[in-house]
Amino acid sequence: MSGIELPKAQDLVEYRVDRILEEANTDTRIVVLARQDGTLDTFPIWVGAAEGNAIKLALDTMITPRPMSHDLIKSFAEHLNITIQRVVIADVKSSTYYATVYTVNKGVERTIDARPSDAISLALRAHCPIYITQDVLNRRSTANLDAWLAKLESKDIGTPEVQET
Amino acid sequence: MITQMHVKGLMFDPYNNAYIVVLRDEEHSDMLPIWVGKSEAGAISMSLENVTPPRPMTHDFMKSLLDAYNAKVISVVITDLSDHTYFAKIHLMYEDSEYTVDARPSDAIALALRSNAPVFANDSVITKQSSEELEQWLENLKPEDFGKLDS
Repeated sequence: MSGIELPKAQDLVEYRVDRILEEANTDTRIVVLARQDGTLDTFPIWVGAAEGNAIKLALDTMITPRPMSHDLIKSFAEHLNITIQRVVIADVKSSTYYATVYTVNKGVERTIDARPSDAISLALRAHCPIYITQDVLNRRSTANLDAWLAKLESKDIGTPEVQET
Repeated sequence: MITQMHVKGLMFDPYNNAYIVVLRDEEHSDMLPIWVGKSEAGAISMSLENVTPPRPMTHDFMKSLLDAYNAKVISVVITDLSDHTYFAKIHLMYEDSEYTVDARPSDAIALALRSNAPVFANDSVITKQSSEELEQWLENLKPEDFGKLDS
């Protein structure tokens, strides 16, 4: 069908965005992904404040007066009849995650490299699944993470202010 | 009527804790300042300074998506100003058809800079914003305030 190398289905694990946490001291956000099948496992990704807010807006299905950046990307896709099929967190290097966005238009598939924050922001708006490869899951380091996350729970951020241009 | 504008630079506005994208026309007779947030300013600044980030930023991803399907940004137009909020439209060419997509000016400009597409402003927008107070404020700024952005 296409020349794109698709990861094998069994190598992908579906996750959903569980919540966004605020890292109080560093002005960053933690996107907490949880396994879609209900298995207890969380996968945190550190993102910038703006990126975290973009995800939060989609998570809360907030309608902004003007399209935000990822609304615009979705709008492009809709205008051009491009379907966002799925996003995959496909690699990790030096604690930095890399994502791939899978798209299709009239049977032509294209993959686009993205930061996980952009991929997740778009996935929530396009209502497409979010996957993490088994390889990435195997390579993460989660020492004491759950305890640390539990400590943060109470600081769940509220609705971000929409940054007006 | 629309006028082609050039992105002259970015300034920090300490009073509003925001950034101003300064657009000027060819003859430097009209100026259009647009207030944007920090991350939006960052997206424009990276492009102005030709910084290639290690991972694609949001607008790089946006352009990659368009590139992947051979869709081309023809132009962007700052179309309207109401309640101190600017509105923009992005004109795309895809498979011999033209598409017009609503956007915030910051996204439109960040994408135009990455696509080498021209930026236009409706003349009504340029006229509307011409508050003398603002122009004075801008004139009082020293060239250094514009940073190292020149074009």
